[in-house]
Amino acid sequence: MSGFQDNMRQSARGVGFLALVIAVGAALAIAEPRFLSSASLNGIARHMAANGLAALGLTFVVIVRRFDLSLPGVAAFAGMSMGAVIAAGAPLWVAVAAGIAIGAAIGMVSGVAISRFGLPDIVTTIAVGSICAGMAFLYTGGRSIFQNFFQVGITDLNDARLMGLGVSLWILLAIYAVAWFVMHRTRTGVAFYATGENPVAAHFSGIATKRYVALAYVLCGVCTALAVLLILAESGNAETNKGANLMMPAYAGVFLGAAILGGTSVLATLGGILLITMLLDGFALMGVPYYYSDGMISLILLAGVLAFSDTARGWLASFGIRRAFRRSAPGEKG
Amino acid sequence: MAAPILTASGVSKRFGPVQALQNVAFHVAPGEVHALLGINGAGKSTFIKILSGIIQKDGGQITVGGEEVHFRTPEDAIRAGIATVQQHPELVPDMTGLDNIFLGRESARRGLFSRIDQRGLERRAKALLSRFPVALDLTLEVGRMSAVEREAVAILQAIAGENTRVLILDEPTSTLTDIEREDLFALMGLLKAQGIAIIYITHQLEEVFAIADSFSIFRNGTCVARMTVDEAKAGRVSLADLMLGEAIGDIFPPRAATAPGDAVLEVGALCLQGDFDGISLTARKGEVLGIFGLVGSGCDELAKAIFGVTPPDSGTLRLRGQVVRLTSPRAALDAGVFLVPGDRRTEGLVLSRAALFNVPLANLRRAAAGRWSLRRRRMQGDARALTGDVALHPPSLTTPASGFSGGNQQKIVLAKGLYSQADVYIFVEPTVGVDIGARAKIYALMRQLSRDAAVIVISSDCDEVHGVADRTLALHKGRQVEPVSGVFSRDALLMAGIMGEVAQ
Repeated sequence: MSGFQDNMRQSARGVGFLALVIAVGAALAIAEPRFLSSASLNGIARHMAANGLAALGLTFVVIVRRFDLSLPGVAAFAGMSMGAVIAAGAPLWVAVAAGIAIGAAIGMVSGVAISRFGLPDIVTTIAVGSICAGMAFLYTGGRSIFQNFFQVGITDLNDARLMGLGVSLWILLAIYAVAWFVMHRTRTGVAFYATGENPVAAHFSGIATKRYVALAYVLCGVCTALAVLLILAESGNAETNKGANLMMPAYAGVFLGAAILGGTSVLATLGGILLITMLLDGFALMGVPYYYSDGMISLILLAGVLAFSDTARGWLASFGIRRAFRRSAPGEKG
Repeated sequence: MAAPILTASGVSKRFGPVQALQNVAFHVAPGEVHALLGINGAGKSTFIKILSGIIQKDGGQITVGGEEVHFRTPEDAIRAGIATVQQHPELVPDMTGLDNIFLGRESARRGLFSRIDQRGLERRAKALLSRFPVALDLTLEVGRMSAVEREAVAILQAIAGENTRVLILDEPTSTLTDIEREDLFALMGLLKAQGIAIIYITHQLEEVFAIADSFSIFRNGTCVARMTVDEAKAGRVSLADLMLGEAIGDIFPPRAATAPGDAVLEVGALCLQGDFDGISLTARKGEVLGIFGLVGSGCDELAKAIFGVTPPDSGTLRLRGQVVRLTSPRAALDAGVFLVPGDRRTEGLVLSRAALFNVPLANLRRAAAGRWSLRRRRMQGDARALTGDVALHPPSLTTPASGFSGGNQQKIVLAKGLYSQADVYIFVEPTVGVDIGARAKIYALMRQLSRDAAVIVISSDCDEVHGVADRTLALHKGRQVEPVSGVFSRDALLMAGIMGEVAQ
């Protein structure tokens, strides 16, 4: 009976999310008709692929109830490293493998420092991120790397199409499908969630909680490297600031998705990042300067999380807006 | 007795489809210690939350000092002189007792920059202590205090508002030892002498006769009986029968009829520096081994050492004759040892998750059974069968564990233990905060488990250990105390655990 109610609530959230996507899309299309052009929609798909990979990495970290603020630094270092490998004449797969290895290694450093040695996550990842941001300058002293980029075929990741959709979107969907299966259909996923929600009980249940915390950071590092790979593919060169705009959309996607769809999950992040990318690209089309868009995304994030949180709902209800909210939350305990 | 300070009549409260309280009548007089009894889910907690302003009643009338009151927030209740100490009082462990008592009330003026009036605080503390002379060092950090000292700090914090007329204590003794309990009762006596009415929730029925003047019994959301302790004594009333609404027999199942089988777990000279030393025991299939020990006796640490949480410094563990080294809960579970931990809310359950998540958690290998993905339908079937076996109420697999009563949370932990199919089950404080109906069920399950596995019950409740176990020993300051021959009597076990001596 209550399982049925849970399903109802979950599907109500899903319907609400779709309505929100349509409403946001319609509003942006009215404000800027070019929003629905195929060039714009393709752009959204491409940007969603990069943003979505970074957000997926962050999802693992948020599920184990930690934070990772090293994203821009890791992206810069992994991006410049991949650029250097390409410039040296190596094939694309070697560059990608190097990026993944670097992302994993940096994630391992943060993860082990935080889980094994108990360092605070925020300080550790800021420090690791800053070190990486500095190391990104090792190759060229900060100059752009573009040699061999066209010969090696990295731009195909941005331009090639498969069944009418950009190949980067397919990459995103494939990785999300694997992540969804692991997080929501296997023991590993249960262990991740248990580690986040009650590490003591998880430990007493035989789950190696420290290993899962470290693994979350490793996965986050790998996803960040893949995200910056798509950014390099789009621009056709590597620069030290390529990953600078990855972090805010990623956090916004994870938390907005969790707020709307009722908890941190792979699908919630996918939904969240779709909304965030639509908004970001819509603002860009409307000519909103880039230095305002992070701020506007953050504002939307705060508003979204507030509107969907139970605490805020109770608080609003105490101001007498009770009726509007009561219907949306039947049978909840007082 | 004097005119009531607090009365309630016709109070009702509904949560969705559940009528939590119906037409409750209640009163308590100044200086009266009044026990509130009832099994989990009877409505005690809901009633207390209404009295303390945490939730609002749907209907009925509450008066304090003769005037009708409507509490919208906890502050309203405090202002009316009703102070409440929650079951697990929230204190700041790094701050001293004194700082905790006046937390948020350091200064008479409210303002971001109003300075803390240290001398005023000391004066107020001295005044408080002169009214209630408890033997308590309030300059000690709360984190270093014992359970009863923390409870005393929480009570002083609650009544520091000066005009307290009614004090509500929600299960204050559930984590206390017998000696500590006496200290708490002494403090309650002081409050009573000051004319404060005390409403006191407990599951320990013998306490009612020790400390209360009168009691009310809640059942199915209403107050079914109110009488004084003298009346109850004179009429030889059975409190347990009144709470359950039917005559219950002995809550302990009969002891093992057959001789115990093979030794499953053999513990040899186990030692953990500072906690216990030289513990040797054998747990056999077909019997329940009971270990009685007070807080600080090393009981909890012994269980955690066997389970691999804090591996012992020296000594041996044998499972089915094989020497094993259990260095983590994972190793212990793989070897077939399951711990029902003493603190089920932090150690036993992921409270935000339902039974369906919690039950398979300690044996995910079984849940996947050789595949990459979880066998979800089978997992659900197993969880439904096991929660049925432990009589989980309500029988929901999707309600978060936090939504169940203490007794039913413990049943989820038990179902989790059954799912992990262990050979040795260790229970630590299995019935703290569990009502009498669920207790009987849990004891029966222990007995049932002991047919196929070795069961060890570790508790600071002497009657529980003596009642449920076939064979008992005591732990006193980390040393084990065993009967000279045969088995302990109840009183001998109590002596062994408290004094560390074997009665002749």
